[in-house]
Amino acid sequence: MTKKFSLSGVMQSKVTWAVIAEALILLVCFIIRPDFFSISYQPSTGMLYGSLIDIVNRSAEITIISMGMTLVIALGGTDLSVGALVAVAGAIALKFLRWDVLTYTTPGDYTVYPYVLVIAVPLIACALMGLFNGFLVAKGGIQPIIATLILMVCGRGVAQILTDGKQFTTGYSPFRVIGQGSFLCLPMPIIITIIVVAAVALFTRKTAFGAFVESVGVNPSASRLSGIKAGNVILIVFMITGLLSGIAGLIYSSRIMSNDSNNAGLNFEMDAILAVVIGGTNMAGGRFSLAGTVIGSLIIRTIVTFVYYFGIVAEATMAFKALIIAVVIVLQSEPVRKYFAKRAAMKEGARA
Amino acid sequence: MPGKNILEMRGITIQFPGVKALDGVDFTLREGEIHSLLGENGAGKSTLIKCITGVNKKDSGTILLDGHEINPSGPNEAMSLGISTVFQEVNLCPNLSVAENIFVGRQPMKHGGIDWNEINKRAEELMNRFHLDIDVTRPLSYYSTAIQQMTSIARAVDVQAKVLILDEPTSSLDENEVQLLFSVMRELKASGMGIIFITHFLDQIYAVSDRMTILRNGHLIGTYNIDELGKVELVTKMVGKDMDVIFSLKRAEVSPDAPVMLKAEHIGDGSKIDDISLTVKRGELVGFAGLLGSGRTETAEMLFGAVKTVKGDIYLDGEKIEIKQPFDAIKSQLAFCPEDRKRDGIIGDLSIRENIMLAVQSRKGFMKPMTRQEQTELADKYIALLGIATPDCEKKAGELSGGNQQKVILARWIAASPKVLILDEPTRGIDIGAKAEIQRLMLEMCRDGVSVIFISSELDEIIRCSNRVIIMRDREKVAEVDGASCTQQDILRIIAEGAA
Repeated sequence: MTKKFSLSGVMQSKVTWAVIAEALILLVCFIIRPDFFSISYQPSTGMLYGSLIDIVNRSAEITIISMGMTLVIALGGTDLSVGALVAVAGAIALKFLRWDVLTYTTPGDYTVYPYVLVIAVPLIACALMGLFNGFLVAKGGIQPIIATLILMVCGRGVAQILTDGKQFTTGYSPFRVIGQGSFLCLPMPIIITIIVVAAVALFTRKTAFGAFVESVGVNPSASRLSGIKAGNVILIVFMITGLLSGIAGLIYSSRIMSNDSNNAGLNFEMDAILAVVIGGTNMAGGRFSLAGTVIGSLIIRTIVTFVYYFGIVAEATMAFKALIIAVVIVLQSEPVRKYFAKRAAMKEGARA
Repeated sequence: MPGKNILEMRGITIQFPGVKALDGVDFTLREGEIHSLLGENGAGKSTLIKCITGVNKKDSGTILLDGHEINPSGPNEAMSLGISTVFQEVNLCPNLSVAENIFVGRQPMKHGGIDWNEINKRAEELMNRFHLDIDVTRPLSYYSTAIQQMTSIARAVDVQAKVLILDEPTSSLDENEVQLLFSVMRELKASGMGIIFITHFLDQIYAVSDRMTILRNGHLIGTYNIDELGKVELVTKMVGKDMDVIFSLKRAEVSPDAPVMLKAEHIGDGSKIDDISLTVKRGELVGFAGLLGSGRTETAEMLFGAVKTVKGDIYLDGEKIEIKQPFDAIKSQLAFCPEDRKRDGIIGDLSIRENIMLAVQSRKGFMKPMTRQEQTELADKYIALLGIATPDCEKKAGELSGGNQQKVILARWIAASPKVLILDEPTRGIDIGAKAEIQRLMLEMCRDGVSVIFISSELDEIIRCSNRVIIMRDREKVAEVDGASCTQQDILRIIAEGAA
């Protein structure tokens, strides 16, 4: 039995409207600057350049984090600590990228600790902090927004303590690859994003984990009575989100080759929540769409790029971003979707 | 003396995608009458109500209120026209006081502030009118469901309603509370209000209503005076086929030497239940009788691990089992249909397919997923077997009627091939056709060797199906009687007196 294509069904979907919104923004860019879409190859770096590449590249951190956030929101929660974990990951990585100051006086291509620690320790630490969030929610019965507020507030403090409140820099080239390297002509963050999105999609949709998350998100009590260990589902989801925040943190600090406890990952939690919501996942929990979230993240980044690219005054950036997002969210609202779905249904009816 | 018509609906047709929910239905409500609206789940009762209150838009037909055509755009407009509705689930704020709930949204004002004295005084007057002497300043959650129900009615009545719609108000009330509700209904009727009453309990229809209108599959079958139609004729008209089925159900045969499947010895949860022992044989159906709060549900929840058992032992097939959470019970092939279908049973936003496969999948763990094809096959199998009315297995379970939702939950558990099936009020709030189906299914399971524990407030069901009846009272097991030889009176006497 194949599912019949129905225009009214497509019009009902929030993901459709997210795609339409992204297309419209890109269209406006194209009208103002036809070269917005041009992509060029730079033989010296072996990378492709262009606004579109830049949008995807720069959206990597938010896209990666919002994969986890999608699952958290599908459970009916939110994770406010992701931005702080980005800072923590950076702080730990840079801590392990110290060098012998007696031998070298300036940052360069060296490190005292093995590279594997530079990568593994921040990721493990972030996964554990995610687990801590999950523990508070699953075992403590604390509302996710409150439970994750703890690490949101103290995470940056932890990052400060780890680095003695200093901003370290490094020149270690293997670390530079994460945020600034390339693979198959594409910036490395794009490659990492593709891998993360694919991994989360496979884990949720090729196992029954996604169905369990949705089930617990819709009705935790009925899910428990059906034998789902809701607590474990919650623990895993928060741990994944912590781990993904760690990955985003490594990309972020590799881009600046430094740690920045105050500004790394600032407001990432808001952008990630926004990406999920624009992508069509309901804040009340239940059905989630990873593809929708990816588009949501791209929309956010496209708006920011638009602002930079067209030289809108810096002071107006936030207001402009808010304006576009407001339009997108109104386009996705129930009445608007219903209106277009009804029109589509009428057209289909007329044809039938 | 029949009053004049206050509400007249003529030729109402409502088209939903794929089905005609109502097809040219006429309905009249007179002043000062209680008019029962009857039909199986999916017959169109709710749709008709929603049409009156403007939730569903009619495609054709007219609605006249006091002779004037109305087209309410939603419940608020309907309310301002004088049509109030009290729904099955209480739609109030449990954390606000009774008085606040009655007046929320239209508080009397004084000097630019809310006039609390006036609110509390008027609320008290209203509740007194219903012969309820309660403190209206206490939060609503402090009171029983019946009082909460009365509060919604008080709220509906206070807006000067001409038409009051009661959609299954009695499904969670006990006998005394039902009587209280009826006396209120009669009082409102005497004051000239027209009341539309929807219920699944046939006795209640005869106890309180003046006329009844029967719907079936969106068609009007007829409107009758209450003394015109006997129960059997009524049911026949509702179901459209003879109801011999329900009376021809035979309880399963259990040979005296059948092995014990489930045995509980002195189990207690440390708070509500102290000491309960029971056995269920292979292929036996054991009924739990007793009033609400007698410990029936609590015992079932302990057996399934929904509530922790702190003392006593549970044996399955002669082996001691450790049940700490529902997952453990499912591993041991126990199954449990909870009492509150909406809160603990159905996962409304997920598809029928996902709802059915859930228990099987959770037993396997999420790392061993069933393929989409396997899930669909499983779901389609049980949709056909249980006669779940749906176009396909991808429909949201929450969009099904109550009876069909219950079948989906049953399918979830039957699919998990249980050894012991515990059903807590599986027939509550569903129509008589679905009730018969579910009872037939239970008995079939018994014949296949499944042990069934059946909890119900309706004694005739218990007696019809059970091999043995365990009677509970005040959180204790007070007696055990043979299902074949006992009568309703026997059980009622034991419940009342507490001894066999």
